[in-house]
Amino acid sequence: MVITVEQLNKTFEVPERDPGLKAAFSSLFNRKTRSVEAVADVNFSVAKGEIVGFLGPNGAGKTTTLKMLSGLLHPTSGRVEVLGHVPNKREREYLSRMTLVMGNRNQLQWDLPALDSFELTRAIYRLQEGAFLEQRDELIELLDLADLVNKPVRQLSLGERMKAEIANSLLHRPAVLFLDEPTLGLDVTMQRRIRGFLADYNARHGASIMLTSHYMADIEALCHRVIVIHEGQLLFDGALSALSQRFAAQKTIVVTLAEPADLGAYGEVVDESPTTVTLRVSRDDTAAVTGRLLAEQPVSDLTVVDPPIDDVIESVFEAGA
Amino acid sequence: MRLALTFLRINVMNELQYRANFFLQVLESVVALATGLIVLSLIFAQTDALDGWTRPQLLAVLGVFTMVGGVIKFAIEPNMARIMSDIREGTFDYVLTKPVDSQLFVSVRQFRLWQLTDVIVGAAVVVWAVVTSDGSEQGSVTGGGVALGFFVSLFAGSLMIYCVWLILTTGAFWFVRMEMLEELFTGLYRAGQYPVGIYPGWLRAALTFLIPIGFAVTVPSEALTGRLTWSRLALAVGFVVLLMAVTRTVWSWGVRNYSGASA
Repeated sequence: MVITVEQLNKTFEVPERDPGLKAAFSSLFNRKTRSVEAVADVNFSVAKGEIVGFLGPNGAGKTTTLKMLSGLLHPTSGRVEVLGHVPNKREREYLSRMTLVMGNRNQLQWDLPALDSFELTRAIYRLQEGAFLEQRDELIELLDLADLVNKPVRQLSLGERMKAEIANSLLHRPAVLFLDEPTLGLDVTMQRRIRGFLADYNARHGASIMLTSHYMADIEALCHRVIVIHEGQLLFDGALSALSQRFAAQKTIVVTLAEPADLGAYGEVVDESPTTVTLRVSRDDTAAVTGRLLAEQPVSDLTVVDPPIDDVIESVFEAGA
Repeated sequence: MRLALTFLRINVMNELQYRANFFLQVLESVVALATGLIVLSLIFAQTDALDGWTRPQLLAVLGVFTMVGGVIKFAIEPNMARIMSDIREGTFDYVLTKPVDSQLFVSVRQFRLWQLTDVIVGAAVVVWAVVTSDGSEQGSVTGGGVALGFFVSLFAGSLMIYCVWLILTTGAFWFVRMEMLEELFTGLYRAGQYPVGIYPGWLRAALTFLIPIGFAVTVPSEALTGRLTWSRLALAVGFVVLLMAVTRTVWSWGVRNYSGASA
């Protein structure tokens, strides 16, 4: 196992005060704090070469967990082990084999071409010239950066900059990647490019990747496995397809009719055009309803689909709340 | 070391893009120096010596003051400002994910090349002061020892200022917003324009040990003007070693606090 997390807990002490000027003054001298459990009794493990999607609403504890995995935060209790190291000891051997990318935070030199920042990264990781150039050129090719690395970073678009950031974070060829919202704010095309790249990089180097994203398309395209946390607790760990089986209480039936008919008796009508009706029925009734539709109505086409993964996730969080 | 050089190279490249800054900086150095010289000539229009320091000797102090000020603005202040902005914006996380010593890393990231003009201008004033000096030698450091004493104490003094500034900057791990620190330092540093001996006892002690401007400016000046004793130089070196150890401890403590070991 590349990553092992056992009974992980993280509690923060956060200052608390009432709104208003008076409260602001009194908090200068008398600070009240409140404990917040950001992560509670979380267990999971990740194998070499696995890509795991890490899902949860804002404030669920995703970033806190990633920070504990990358050694930035000390767990309050529990055990974390990555590549045989305890991350928060921040041993050099560990840090040289992992990377953390945060979608909204830059580390490239703003006024210089990315190539110069790459040189700096080379000095930080003490990379040998040969290995560095090989990895750099491979990343430039995979991310299609050839025309961009010579321009000052400030002249790049958000998406171009993110690609350069990702290249910069992978120059030392890490075995573990922690990506916190790597596609945040990017347009659909650029998101797709970055997804394609991550899949490619994973296939080439067998790196393990943990990824958070608000875009379900990222997760669907990259992750066979997802871990869902909500309010610090692990709600689900398994295949993406199993997520909808377990949490989607309903299925959607799309029926195309030879002639219009009222299907309200079969289930909840979500959408209706004269000859195409979308019904929502409970998972257990799906087979029976489908059979009755086919027997009783002039059906010319019928498909049963799982609801969109976004809706499933939403219902998971509602259920967990 | 290689890391520091790479950072220096990056910063040089950064600054070379803004040529105007260079000319502005030269102008600023010259204006600051002229102001210092005018004040000195005003003082010596009234008296022949200030607390035993003659005119060429105070010129040497002004030169050292300008040099150390240049070192501060070249290497210390930009790095400290960067630490604080990193903590505020959360990019400090990236510092801790790098396989390098975090204190070393944050201390060599930012340089303002053109501030070196102050170092050069200051050095020129020092040379001028030494050449025109009437050489009233009272100290035990003489001959070849003068140059040694000067460079050692200059280096030690700059390190002390770095240490104190970093210790205070570490406060940003707790308080996050501490921009006034820079103002505070710049203001206090101005007191170093004169030998600390001219100030009353309590202020002299504070300027020597709390904000070691006394060491950083006065001790090298003493070396130049033949006032330095070996024991004072040893004290300066001993103090800087101690201060480095304290800084190291405070820094690790701050980083531990940042990563929530205490929570």
